[in-house]
Amino acid sequence: MTTALFSEDQRDALQELTNIGMGQAGASVAAVLGEFVQLSVPRILVLKPSLIPPALERIVGPEKVTAVRQGFHGDLRGEAVVVYGVAHCRELADLMGYDEVPDEATEHELLLDVSNVLIGACLGGLAEQISAEMGFSAPSLMATEVEVGSLLDVSRMDSPCALFVEVNFSLEKRSFACHLIMLLPEDQILVLRDAIDRFLASL
Amino acid sequence: MTELTHGELGGFIADRVEIGVFAVDVEFKVTLWNRFMATHSRHSAADVLGRNLFEVFPELPRSWLERKVRHVQALRNYAFTSWTQRPYLFRFDHNRPITGGVDAMRQNCTFLPVKNEAGEVVQVCVTVQDVTDNAIAHEELAASMAEIEREKAEQRKLIGELAQAQNQLLQSEKLASIGQLAAGVAHEINNPIGFVNSNLGTLASYVDELMVVLDAYTGAHDQIPESLRSAIDAQIKGVDLDYLREDLVNLVTESRDGLDRVKKIVQDLKDFSRMGESEAAWADLHHCLDTTLNVVANEIKYKAEVVKQYGELPEIECVASQLNQVFMNLVVNAAQAIAEQGTITVSTGTEGEQVFVSVRDTGAGIPPEVLKRIFDPFYTTKPVGTGTGLGLSVSYSIIERHGGRIVVNSKLGEGTEFKIWLPLHYPAAKTDDS
Repeated sequence: MTTALFSEDQRDALQELTNIGMGQAGASVAAVLGEFVQLSVPRILVLKPSLIPPALERIVGPEKVTAVRQGFHGDLRGEAVVVYGVAHCRELADLMGYDEVPDEATEHELLLDVSNVLIGACLGGLAEQISAEMGFSAPSLMATEVEVGSLLDVSRMDSPCALFVEVNFSLEKRSFACHLIMLLPEDQILVLRDAIDRFLASL
Repeated sequence: MTELTHGELGGFIADRVEIGVFAVDVEFKVTLWNRFMATHSRHSAADVLGRNLFEVFPELPRSWLERKVRHVQALRNYAFTSWTQRPYLFRFDHNRPITGGVDAMRQNCTFLPVKNEAGEVVQVCVTVQDVTDNAIAHEELAASMAEIEREKAEQRKLIGELAQAQNQLLQSEKLASIGQLAAGVAHEINNPIGFVNSNLGTLASYVDELMVVLDAYTGAHDQIPESLRSAIDAQIKGVDLDYLREDLVNLVTESRDGLDRVKKIVQDLKDFSRMGESEAAWADLHHCLDTTLNVVANEIKYKAEVVKQYGELPEIECVASQLNQVFMNLVVNAAQAIAEQGTITVSTGTEGEQVFVSVRDTGAGIPPEVLKRIFDPFYTTKPVGTGTGLGLSVSYSIIERHGGRIVVNSKLGEGTEFKIWLPLHYPAAKTDDS
C-alpha cells in the first residue's frame, strides 16, 4: 500500500476532513431518506490502477453488484462510483417512497437518483471542508449484476496511481447498504494535497 | 448603441438558448420560463410566470417531481434525469414531424439549486435538453446490435448443424467404403465358389457313376476266385464300404448345401452394400430385412432368437442400402440391449398410406434421461471404443430423408421398441411425370 504521496499529517487531515464531510452528508441524506444513516470511517488508499479491482473485491465481497458512476469536476476532478449489492437494489423503491414494485427503468432511475444524492452529499461535504468548488455531470449506469472484479476496466487508466476513498453506507432500520468509492487521478491527488496544506495552515 | 450589462446578457442567453430553462420557487411557482419552454409547451411566459407549475401542467408526474425538487433543496446539490429511464419530463413534440421515429421529444433534465447569499436554496432551476436525435440513433444502434446478436446465434446454430452433417457424411462414407470392400471381397469369393460348385456338380455325377460300377462289381463278387475274394473282403471290411457308400453321397450333398449357403451370404453382402447405389428405387423391405438379418446373424445368434412377424408390404421407393444400414443398427442395438438371452421381434405392416417396421427387444430398456438423447450425434452409452455414438443419429437422418419418422418406446426392465414409418414414395426422388 503506497500512501507515500501524503505525509502522516496530511493523511490524518484527509481522513478527518473526509470524516467530517461524510458526517454532514450523512445528516442531509438522512433528512432526504427519512432514515438514520450509518457511515463507516473512510478508507483511504493510494493504489496502482491494477490494484483497484482487487481492492474493490476485498471491500465489497464476492456478490454480484450493480454500479453507478458520476464524474465531478471543478477544483477537484475525478469519478465516484456507488456499488450496490444486487439484493439491496430492490429495497431502493421502498426507501424512496415508491409504493409499487418498480419496472426496470424506474429501478434504474432510482439507482441513479440515490447515487446522485450520496455522491453529491459526500463530495459536496468534502469540497466544503476544503473550500473547493465542484460540479457534477449526470450519473450513468455502469453495469448491472456483474462481478465486482469486472466493474472497472483499469487497463485504460492513464494515471500511474489513484486515490481510492471508500465509505460504506447502511441504514439503521433496514438491511440496505452500499459502498461509495471516490477515485482521483494522480495530478488531482496533488491538488487535494495542496488544499489540505492550505486547510492545515489556516488552523 | 448601448452595451448590454452582464445581467442583461445572461438573461438574453437564458431566454434564447436552444435548451428549455425554467425555475420554480419552494412552492412550485414558476419564476423563469424561457422561449424554448414557451414555444414547445405553447404556454407563453406571461401565461405561466407566477402560477403553480402543476396548475398549468396537471399531466406532470407530481409526486416524483416534488420529491426531486425537495432533494435538490435539502442537499443543495444537482439532480438529473436521463431519457433512457424517463423519456421526457414535458410531453413536447419532437423535431421530426416528417421523419418521425418517436412519440415525443426525448429529454435529459438537470435540476440545479439556485442559492441566495446565505447559501440557502431558494429556487430550483431546471434545464430541459432535447436529445431526440441521440435517442433515436441510440435505439437504432441497439436494434442493430440485437439483430447482429440474433444473426450470430443463427450462425452458431448453422455451424453446429454443418459440423453434424459433416460427421454424418464421414460416418456414411466410412460405411460406404466398408460396403464397397465387402462387395469387392464378395465378388472375389464368387469366382472360386463358382468352380468349386461346378466341380462339386461333376464330382456328384462321378460318384453316382462310380457307384453304378461298384454295384456291378459287387454283383460279380461271388464269381471271384476264392483266393482273391478273401483279400477283397478284408479290404471291404477295412474301409466299411457300406458306410462309405452312404456317407460319400451325404458328404457331397452337405458340401453343396454349404456352398449354397456361402453363395447366399455373398449375395446378401452384395445386396446389403448395393455398391454405388444412392438413388431411390423400388424395393421389397422384407428382402432388405432378411439380408440384413443374415449379415448380422453371427453377431446376434448367441444372444437372441429372431422372431419375424411380417405383414403384407407393398414395395416402397427407397434407398435400400441406407435402410439396410438402419435395420442393421436397430438389430445390433437390440442384441446389445439383451444381457443373457432374449428375443428380437421384427414386425412389419401398413398403417394408412405408410408402411412400418418395428424392432422390439426383450432387453434392459432405456432410462428416460438417456431416451431423450439417443438420437443426438455422439451420444453413446457404450464403453469407449465400442460405439461411435453416431448410429442412431445417422439412422434418424436417413429416415428423415425418406420422409418417414422413427420413434422409440422403452420400459426399464422390459425392453425397447424402435418403430419406423415410411411413405411409399421417396420425397426427394420426384420423377418428371409427377
